Amino acid sequence: MEFEQVPKLEKVKVYSIVTLILVIFGSGVSIWVANRIDFYTSALVHTEEVLQRNNELYANILERETSIRGYILTGNEEFLANYESSKLTGKEIFPYLFQLTSDNETQQKYLKEIQAHIQTRLEIFEQSKKYYQENGDLVGFLSPEKIENSINGYRAIKGLINKINEEESQLIIERNKILINNIAALPLIIGLISFMSVLMGALTLFSIFHFNKATKIKDEKIRISQELLKDKIEQLNESNDELKQFAYIASHDLQEPLRKITSFSDLLKEQYQGKLDEEGNHYLARISASAYRMRRLITDLLEYSRAGRDSDENVKKVFLDEVVNSVIDDMEVAINEKNAIITFQNLPVVDGKETEFRQVFQNLLSNSLKFAKKETIPQITISTAQAPQELIKTYPQLDQSIGYFLIILEDNGIGFDQSYAERIFTIFQRLHGKNEFEGTGIGLSITRKIIENYGGVISAEGIVANGATFKIVLPKPSIN
Amino acid sequence: MKNKKSIHILIAEDDDDDKLLILKAFEKCLPKENVTCVSDGEDLINYLSKTSSTDDSIYPVPDIILLDLNMPRKDGKTTLQEIKSHEDYRKIPVIIFTTSNLKEDIQFTYKMGSSSFITKPGTFEDLVKVTKEIKNYWSSTVKLPT
Repeated sequence: MEFEQVPKLEKVKVYSIVTLILVIFGSGVSIWVANRIDFYTSALVHTEEVLQRNNELYANILERETSIRGYILTGNEEFLANYESSKLTGKEIFPYLFQLTSDNETQQKYLKEIQAHIQTRLEIFEQSKKYYQENGDLVGFLSPEKIENSINGYRAIKGLINKINEEESQLIIERNKILINNIAALPLIIGLISFMSVLMGALTLFSIFHFNKATKIKDEKIRISQELLKDKIEQLNESNDELKQFAYIASHDLQEPLRKITSFSDLLKEQYQGKLDEEGNHYLARISASAYRMRRLITDLLEYSRAGRDSDENVKKVFLDEVVNSVIDDMEVAINEKNAIITFQNLPVVDGKETEFRQVFQNLLSNSLKFAKKETIPQITISTAQAPQELIKTYPQLDQSIGYFLIILEDNGIGFDQSYAERIFTIFQRLHGKNEFEGTGIGLSITRKIIENYGGVISAEGIVANGATFKIVLPKPSIN
Repeated sequence: MKNKKSIHILIAEDDDDDKLLILKAFEKCLPKENVTCVSDGEDLINYLSKTSSTDDSIYPVPDIILLDLNMPRKDGKTTLQEIKSHEDYRKIPVIIFTTSNLKEDIQFTYKMGSSSFITKPGTFEDLVKVTKEIKNYWSSTVKLPT
């Protein structure tokens, strides 16, 4: 049976895993982007704080400038109080700013510069305050050089404050840009990954669906082929029964008329012996001979069809030594007639039906006796060995994982041409004319059938006029 | 006492050829009138039923019965069962004389009480031998319940 290409379960698994990886990756990317957004948002807040603090610093500086100026102009103590408090506030702002811009060296540098300028300015403030308090005015204190220094100092501070502001503004622009990019990319990334995940999910679902469908179809096909097989087995059983029926018919119905032909020709011969002329007697003899031969053929055919089955005999341990011994006993007359010498030793014990092994050795021995050389004393040797692995390998029907016996039967008879080695096992095949050697050519076929039924093989080797060798390979009995 | 009298054989055989051959074979060892042939089991039972009521010379009580298994109407097995379950006939030895050599047939008929099971020989020569053996065995070797 052929099956349609079924999508492999592996494919479904791969799809599912890819989908899972995509979802995890997508989540990772989303979290990463979200973190970036969070980071830049707080960075922006941070920058804005720097800006605010910076402006506060500038306001503080201005306040100080204004207060000292107011005090010097009016002598009002309130300006002085403002000046003193702005000094304190200014001291608080600096560490804060230094801390905020700790990651930015440029800003730190600017701040340090501002601090230095402020220090210079403060010294002058203190001097002018002291001079004013002592003299009531600053007439003797001021000089064009000091005024210019004062203006330059203030400008420098303002310039630095602006630089800090610019720097921070630049940062705000940059960070805003990144933030906007990130915020803009986020839906795109999430969208893309979601799309791919959905796609992969759909693909997975589709392949699962396809897989299920194909599996169903496959199951159905298996079911159908199983049913077909069941039908075939039934048919086989039927034809087996028919075959048995045929064997029965062959043994009875076919034999019946044959038996009568024989009997009536016997009767004819007996009662009309003197009344027939020579030719008539000859014809009668031919009728008898043909009928006799046909009967043997039918009986042999029947025996062949029964060989290896249809018996109630139980399988048990068969001692082949004993079997061969008793076959020799049975064949005593034929053996003595030819003065044959049969030797055997240490034949194995095998599992099987004794009757069948008797048949095997009876057929082989009578075969060797039948085809013995006329002027030579027939010598038949049966020996046993372990079947070598190389021999077992040459027969594909043998199981290389179990052990086999090798039983060898050798004779010194007329042998045969090796090219007929297989033919001698074929039913009704004969290598010699039936006038030369009697027989139907069934003995070796039955032998092979029995041996093969036990999972073994039998082969023959021969040399014309120089004996034949039969090799039987039989499985060793299982341990149980 | 029928000491001198030779045995009477009743044969149930449907096949005309076989009938002829068996009769021919028995002719060699028994007078014709000592052998009676019927064609099937039905006829055989009919014959037996007449033996008790009629003249012994027309329907003599058989000393042994030769029974074929394959017969039309009443076959050999049924006939054997009927004979063996009949009060009077059961004592008559029944020899199964058939072409069969099936194990089941052999076992069945012996179980049912047949005395022998003989497969019909293939040649006339052998048939003559067998009929002679039957005659000798049942008329001389063993004692029959007369």
